[in-house]
Amino acid sequence: MAARRVGKPNQAFLMTILITQLRAVGLFYRSVAPFMLGISGLILATVLLPALREGWGAGLLPGLLLAKLATAPVVWYLSEQLRPGQYWFYFNLGLSRRRLWGGVVALDGLLFLGGVLAMRAGVA
Amino acid sequence: MRAAAGSPAGPQVLEADGIQVAFAGRQVLANIYLRVQTGQIVGLLGRNGSGKSVLLQTIFGARTVADASVRVNGRRVVPAFRQAGLLNYLPQEPLLPPSLPLRQAARMLGVELTEATARFPELRPQFDCRAGELSGGTARLLQTLLLLHADTAFSLFDEPFSGVMPVHVETLAEEMQRIKQRKGLLITDHRHAEVLPLCDVVYLLHQGRLLKLEGDVKEALRDYGYLAQ
Repeated sequence: MAARRVGKPNQAFLMTILITQLRAVGLFYRSVAPFMLGISGLILATVLLPALREGWGAGLLPGLLLAKLATAPVVWYLSEQLRPGQYWFYFNLGLSRRRLWGGVVALDGLLFLGGVLAMRAGVA
Repeated sequence: MRAAAGSPAGPQVLEADGIQVAFAGRQVLANIYLRVQTGQIVGLLGRNGSGKSVLLQTIFGARTVADASVRVNGRRVVPAFRQAGLLNYLPQEPLLPPSLPLRQAARMLGVELTEATARFPELRPQFDCRAGELSGGTARLLQTLLLLHADTAFSLFDEPFSGVMPVHVETLAEEMQRIKQRKGLLITDHRHAEVLPLCDVVYLLHQGRLLKLEGDVKEALRDYGYLAQ
């Protein structure tokens, strides 16, 4: 096997890397999911569900999303404190902390949004 | 093996310099210059707390150090780990998430697990385990093998032999010798009896400075107080 040449990667290689990195974000999300999904569940159960039942939950979505986003730094901080060495595998896949957490927040936001829509449909 | 178009011929050279790190007013690293090229195993020795891990992490790009310059064939690559296929790094602490199945870890790193462990047949029954289920020595060996066989130009290993049983250390050393034909390896480990015969170049981190040892390396290590007289 010849020595790898470092230069401009081809498209198939980049696609493989992209897929691997998406899977890595999913894997990392699983490690913080208990916190993040717990917070989502709490917000949905204590704020959205009563609001929908009382009929004033229609305009709540932006506020709920913002509240959910505001909890991400807390999860990040706890995660850094509890598992400081958790990033090495992801660094070896070419993922920085910023990309990893960006992916986690995006994925968690989508799941939260899905939960809101499901709850709205359920109550309606 | 992917060969990128337009890349220069000959060995690839990884260089790091301008790295200065201080902790609590104590200068740990100063005016470092380190060079590794493909086809070489480079040893990095030094006393506990001399900054070996900090240096490896800085080269890898996980630790941000102002003015640090890491280059491959003269081209700046900071942080280096973001450059696809350039280098990987084995930290002192566990590499893999404990819940990650070994096969999945290998797949994500682009490594054929059977091929990577071909010289360690006793590891095969562990293939279906999760990383957290492995014993310390087995986990260390498997993590080292995964990174060694990953398709990168360079591998940085922080104590790869730590906890690995002697018979496996010998085979792992032979694997490193074999793989260096296509890679550059930078190794730091206190098991100098195993590391020194492997190395083409030896550096010693001494009082914050990186010294390239030439001639009688063991004698120099004794002179600097790394080995007993």
